[in-house]
Amino acid sequence: MNTVLILIKRNIKLFFKDKGMFFTSLITPAILLVLYTTFLSNVYRDSFEMNLPDMVKLSDELMGGLVGGQLISSLLAVSCITVAFCSNFLMVQDKANGTIKDLRISPVKVSTLAFGYYIATLISTLLICFAATALCLVYVAFIGWYMSVSDVLFLLLDVVLLVLFGTALSSVINFLLTSQGQISAVGTIISAGYGFICGAYMPISSFSSGLQRVITFLPGTYGTSLVRTHAMGGALNEMVNQGVPSEVVDSIRDAVDCNIYFFNDKVSISSMYLILGTSVAVLVAVYILMNSIRKKV
Amino acid sequence: MKDIIKIDNLCKSFGDVKAVQNLRFRVKEGELFAFLGVNGAGKSTTINIMCGQLLKDSGNIEIDGQNLEHNLEEIKNSLGVVFQNSVLDSALSVYDNLQCRAALYGITGAAFKERLLKLAKLLEFEDLLKRTVEKLSGGQRRRIDIARALINNPKILILDEPTTGLDPQTRKTLWNVISMLRKNENMTVFLTTHYMEEAAEADYVVIIDSGKISAEGTPLELKNTYTGDFITLYGVDEAMVKTFGVEYEALRDGYRLFVPNTAKATELIIKYPDVFFDYEITKGKMDDVFLNVTGKKLEGEQ
Repeated sequence: MNTVLILIKRNIKLFFKDKGMFFTSLITPAILLVLYTTFLSNVYRDSFEMNLPDMVKLSDELMGGLVGGQLISSLLAVSCITVAFCSNFLMVQDKANGTIKDLRISPVKVSTLAFGYYIATLISTLLICFAATALCLVYVAFIGWYMSVSDVLFLLLDVVLLVLFGTALSSVINFLLTSQGQISAVGTIISAGYGFICGAYMPISSFSSGLQRVITFLPGTYGTSLVRTHAMGGALNEMVNQGVPSEVVDSIRDAVDCNIYFFNDKVSISSMYLILGTSVAVLVAVYILMNSIRKKV
Repeated sequence: MKDIIKIDNLCKSFGDVKAVQNLRFRVKEGELFAFLGVNGAGKSTTINIMCGQLLKDSGNIEIDGQNLEHNLEEIKNSLGVVFQNSVLDSALSVYDNLQCRAALYGITGAAFKERLLKLAKLLEFEDLLKRTVEKLSGGQRRRIDIARALINNPKILILDEPTTGLDPQTRKTLWNVISMLRKNENMTVFLTTHYMEEAAEADYVVIIDSGKISAEGTPLELKNTYTGDFITLYGVDEAMVKTFGVEYEALRDGYRLFVPNTAKATELIIKYPDVFFDYEITKGKMDDVFLNVTGKKLEGEQ
């Protein structure tokens, strides 16, 4: 047990001390923040106002709660995955610089090494994502707080699940990488691509129907939807309380991906949790399998 | 002395390339064994197979009485390896690096601290424990590399070109430590090197070329077989040297004569006792042995 703990400590320390890996992991959230402060905030605000009936006027605080909820949900949904990938790049770096060869010369089991990478990535990513969640909640508290205690707790659960998903996905993908160049390529693809396909940069509902259908097969989509539901749920409920017709609120839920439709069937929250949880289990199983059938040349 | 490493008929190919072909040699416990060859000769392939990093195609390897195929874990416990390139984590401290390495062998807590203190004293890095590796000099880093390889108290220390790129003083320090370990702990040292003066200190030398053994023996045997002797003669004129009928070269203050062996040198001295009043006889160098055996020069030799 001590061996695993010391390996985990080594991996976590290396991630936080390697400025390259650490700052790369924060690129996507930074892009989102820049996009938001430059124009997305106004786009979101205008979009909400356009969808409201003429007689309904929302307070600035409620509008802030809606827009802020959408921002933080996008930011957290992406960060949980990109940070996990960057943290798990240590596994690839160890291959690229020959460290793994040295580690495998010792009698330590391959499974212990793999577990060490997985848990270290999980802890590093959770630390960063919980810190990001705390900052996001402080931000929402400033611009319009409508979240209940259960919303916050579910949001934390969503973050944990997404981090588990990101860690498992990155473990499977990074297992196949061996060089610094591949790290850069995958890092770029994940940072740029995942934000789009999970609906962080643009709501999935704004994509073509064909693309929307493809995206509903990706488990990460449901993670984003869960985070968004809990980040925006309080503000949307408040709209109903203030007399906004529930049909209007429902259409907003559809527009911002709180509701996801799988072949026209609305996916329930419990199903989303089930999909995400099952995906994590399957990816972890694949990772274990990959390690166990790893062949020597 | 028992054989601590036994390799028989070892073969390994990568596609059409035969990296190692029917390799067979023995390493005796406590000896300094030099494994020489140019890059691509098959040294690293052999070491990687011995460490369980590559699968062999055929042949048999026994290390410390354990068969590689059946007792890899036990074998790993008896090996320590220093690679040519340092594999220390640069961002971590010396202490963290060694703690992590020790943990891989199940050495933790008090056992680790005890081993660390012993190694720190032996390799003189007590004052470097808290320093991050990236702030160490090349020589300091190499000492930590060796400490890392010794952390599990191995019976066999594999040194894969350990002194490449090091200054002479650091090389000397490292060899002093290795000599001490061999003397005090009867540690077997398996060395690959580009420095022939290091190979000359070995108890036994194997030279491989294109995956096959080209020559093996003690340095003396190899020198006697593959090089001649040199007589450096002072205080004579060239006309006299010419009468010996041997190949020679002029030096600033004398002549260096090339003779096929020591017997021929003795014969000359007995024949011309009046001329040989100030002279020295030396064996050929390991560089010459290597060159004559393989027809190639080792990169990095000095």
